[in-house]
Amino acid sequence: MSRAVSRPLALALLLAAATLIALMRGALDAPLAVLWEGLVTGEGPGALVLAEIRGPRVAAGLAAGAALGLSGAIFQTLFRNPLASPDLLGFTSGASLAVVAGMAAGLAAPPQLLAAAGGLAAWALIGALTLRRGEGAAPPLTLVLVGLGVGFGASACATFLMSALPLGLAHEAQRWITGSLAARGWDHAGAAWAALAALGLAAFAQVRALEALELGEAMAAGLGLDVARARRGVAATAVLLAAAGVAVAGPLPFVALMAGPAGARVSGARSPAGRLAAAAATGALVVVLADLVARAAVPGVQLPAGVATGLLGAPYLLWRLSREMEKGGL
Amino acid sequence: MTLTAEALTLGYGDRMVVEHLDLTLPPGRVTAILGPNGCGKSTLLHALARLTRPISGRVSLEGRDLGAYAPRALARRLAILPQGPAAPEGIRVGDLVRRGRTPWRGMLSPWSEADARACAAALEAVGMTALAERPLQALSGGQRQRAWIALALAQDTPALLLDEPTTFLDLVHQIEVLRLLRRRNREMGTTVISVLHDLNLAARFSDHLVLMGRGGVVAAGAPGAVMTPDNLKAAFGLNARVEPDPETGAPMVIPRADGGDA
Repeated sequence: MSRAVSRPLALALLLAAATLIALMRGALDAPLAVLWEGLVTGEGPGALVLAEIRGPRVAAGLAAGAALGLSGAIFQTLFRNPLASPDLLGFTSGASLAVVAGMAAGLAAPPQLLAAAGGLAAWALIGALTLRRGEGAAPPLTLVLVGLGVGFGASACATFLMSALPLGLAHEAQRWITGSLAARGWDHAGAAWAALAALGLAAFAQVRALEALELGEAMAAGLGLDVARARRGVAATAVLLAAAGVAVAGPLPFVALMAGPAGARVSGARSPAGRLAAAAATGALVVVLADLVARAAVPGVQLPAGVATGLLGAPYLLWRLSREMEKGGL
Repeated sequence: MTLTAEALTLGYGDRMVVEHLDLTLPPGRVTAILGPNGCGKSTLLHALARLTRPISGRVSLEGRDLGAYAPRALARRLAILPQGPAAPEGIRVGDLVRRGRTPWRGMLSPWSEADARACAAALEAVGMTALAERPLQALSGGQRQRAWIALALAQDTPALLLDEPTTFLDLVHQIEVLRLLRRRNREMGTTVISVLHDLNLAARFSDHLVLMGRGGVVAAGAPGAVMTPDNLKAAFGLNARVEPDPETGAPMVIPRADGGDA
């Protein structure tokens, strides 16, 4: 088999294997045979694990990871900078703050809508803060630094709001501070998959615009793009993808940052469409594995998945920063 | 493809770069825009491709205001290669050239026979058919520049605008690029308009020159009529002799030895 086919296939197999292991392992181990029996008969411990205990949690994790990974890869391509991802740009923190604020205000709105509004608000705020009259878009590094500031501000506000919540709600709000897949049911997973499907289609419909934008603004305009409109469309799709991930799993740190480059490396994908698909698969893989580690690593302790992605992502960010400094990008 | 500028004023913010410029670029010819640094050559080229909006005045293509074209319709008539375009990491030459087909492809339309033909012809025209599978970053400066030109050629437009396509290339590669642009013009009738720095190469490879100074266009026309000591003095403040190039008879600029302050 040629390398061009085998490497994406390897990524797909890796994802399938991780999903299977995530379903099998946990506080109560369910071997493959038990899971199979549960799937076929719909009865027994296997069925319970699939339908109630781990099935919806893993399904929600896959969707959240894919949405975050896709969002990260889109921003990284659009800004031509591996540091441009919705977690560093402050969009995931903005989305989280909106969900916590909605809980604090007693709004009955679904978290998807709140997260989307929060992500878009953070985007608008960063756009306004980096606006330079008549000089076009700010350089990516400026956006990242301003985004970090906005993100820290939003996280601080969310933590403050959480501390003012009654205990039960505060426990639930914790998800949107650290990122976690605990207590996710089929309704959450279904909503996340629906959002991922719609926004994923929108993203792939804009791949040609992204391909032209990747060559620089002048070249993209010369190729017949309405550059400002195309950038807005691509960025809005990516912001909403990040918000869709946050709505179900909270701001799982560094997933969006890592998924694009790691996916491209593993799959060997070169075209933007291939890289986006690889980033979605890698994001899903990272989240499912992180959740598995978080709930199975320390016996008797259920850590939030966000702790595991944070532990994995922080060294990656440091490595990436040192690479960028060597290249002179910082 | 006649491009015309009328009473064109261009600038950034409060700073005017070009004021009240009138210019007609002849169709089906090779034109070079020349002038000192900062005189607005690139700004003018950008305005001719609608990458910069005029502060006042207008640019028209085939008598129709450039602003009246839909972006994609314009991109099917006029291709521009800006200076220093951004190469995606790891991209192969063939993939880069394929992106030149963007204005011809709908959101869902598949890769067509015509797209494939245009890309193959573009790679052939720049002599890079054998290098299509090579990563752009692995190529020499001259090859990279030819790959970018191939992208513009794949756009398959009757007019081709290039911003300093020979800058940073050594003499051999400069000549190679200018030859291939002239060949494209002779074979397909493409209107070629480039901003160039080298006066002698420009005179040798162009049918039409636009010489700009600080205040706007100093002279425009055939190389022999434009490249005169008086015009060079007006545009660059340069004292120079102009002699026929012994090889082709095109005007050749020879700066005076004493710096010309006599």
